[in-house]
Amino acid sequence: MERSDHTKVAILGAGRGGRALLDLLHQIPSIEIVGIADRNPAAPGLERARELQVPVATNVPDLVSNHGVSLILDVTGDPEMETYLHAHKPPTANVLSGSASRLLWKLIQHESKLEAELLQSEKLAGIGSFAAGIAHDINNPLQLILGLAENLAEERDLNAVHQQAQDIIEAVKRTSAICRDLTRYSRRASPHDDVLVPVNEKLDEALKIARYASSFHDIEMIKQYQPGAAVKGNPDELLHVLVNLITNAVHAMEGRGGTLTIETLLHDGQVEIRISDTGCGIDPDKLDEIFEPFFTTKAPGKGTGLGLYNVKTIVNKMHGTIAVDSRIDGGTTFTLTFPDAELVGQGSLS
Amino acid sequence: MDEFKSGFFVGGEACEGRVLVVDDEPDIRRVVKMTLQKAGYEVLEAENGEKAIETINAGENRLLLDVVICDIRMPKINGAEAVAYFRKNYPRVPLIVLTGFPDTDMATSFLRQGVVDYLVKPVEGEKLKSAVARAIEQRELARL
Repeated sequence: MERSDHTKVAILGAGRGGRALLDLLHQIPSIEIVGIADRNPAAPGLERARELQVPVATNVPDLVSNHGVSLILDVTGDPEMETYLHAHKPPTANVLSGSASRLLWKLIQHESKLEAELLQSEKLAGIGSFAAGIAHDINNPLQLILGLAENLAEERDLNAVHQQAQDIIEAVKRTSAICRDLTRYSRRASPHDDVLVPVNEKLDEALKIARYASSFHDIEMIKQYQPGAAVKGNPDELLHVLVNLITNAVHAMEGRGGTLTIETLLHDGQVEIRISDTGCGIDPDKLDEIFEPFFTTKAPGKGTGLGLYNVKTIVNKMHGTIAVDSRIDGGTTFTLTFPDAELVGQGSLS
Repeated sequence: MDEFKSGFFVGGEACEGRVLVVDDEPDIRRVVKMTLQKAGYEVLEAENGEKAIETINAGENRLLLDVVICDIRMPKINGAEAVAYFRKNYPRVPLIVLTGFPDTDMATSFLRQGVVDYLVKPVEGEKLKSAVARAIEQRELARL
């Protein structure tokens, strides 16, 4: 990034607006947040700042005058603050306050709504490709149920009757689990605040969903999980990321078979999730474009081109990074890295 | 019609014919076998296209197999590949496709390849039995 693009920002006010600004600006590499301040020490934005290792300032005059700040974002909504800033800001700094900062806050809210819409549309578009998998997984147990029920109408052996009735009950349970998994997946991501998400459980849940989207036939699977690995984020959104990456990995091996390797690791205080395939690989010329919106190598109507774009958006929102390593015909590995690794007791959180 | 009816004796009992069921789901093989055995058929099983090809090439099966019932979505050699193999190497053995995913284009393509019936799961026992009986009858008529 060129030095001239570098912007040093101070955020005043750490309520919902300040927190949203912090989350947004923190993702932009050319922006350095030199500090955030609020009169209320329990303001949500201050807690967020500590998580992101952004300095929390207690002295507003010091923050705005002594750190080479070029942009002051005032979201306190306090007219006195506005007056103070216009009188005391360094001549090189711009101030955004009052109605301008309210407008900025509205735009951020709007963007976050659009982002959620985009995520949901892409997810629902993807579910269209589940039809074959769902039909297979529902019609097979239905065939068993029908066949056994037809037999039961004539069956004389009481033991066989009991066994077959039990088999029917089990088949019904398996079938209803399909609907439960899919409705849970297809719902809109809950707007909850971030929670600690056990990664290994989410990976297993994602594997179940991905089986509808792609055929796992002839694919060997290797799972290497670091017990208790957990990351902070929205569980529904993380699930969406994992389903996308696993589905892509399996599609890359379609018709040729291969090995799907899923790993979670913990090192240097970071959680890593690695999803590798031994499939067709990505053209080196295309590697830079794969996270761009509407980029797809799939046939028209087969892919939205939004899968990896949304994956990257979510991962960045979780303050993680995504890396890809690929060789033509040698397979692809996607590595997600999240800071501030945490461990949870297996099954204690969802 | 009676004199054309396929029928030979296995172990002293009348056998309506020998059927190979190809499906990766043991549940499906179990109920198809249950239904057809009760109707007097001898039923062989294979869990994928590769096993099906092995089975048909084993011993005297190539001579005695009357019908193949084949799923489509399977590991190893899938149903579409198996159908193509059977049509090429055993054109006289009638093929019935039994699939969980109804797809008109696929059905048309199979029927064009000479598949005698395209059934969608779940299929009723009566329908399955009459499809098998019809397939055998057609083959017997073709032999005359």
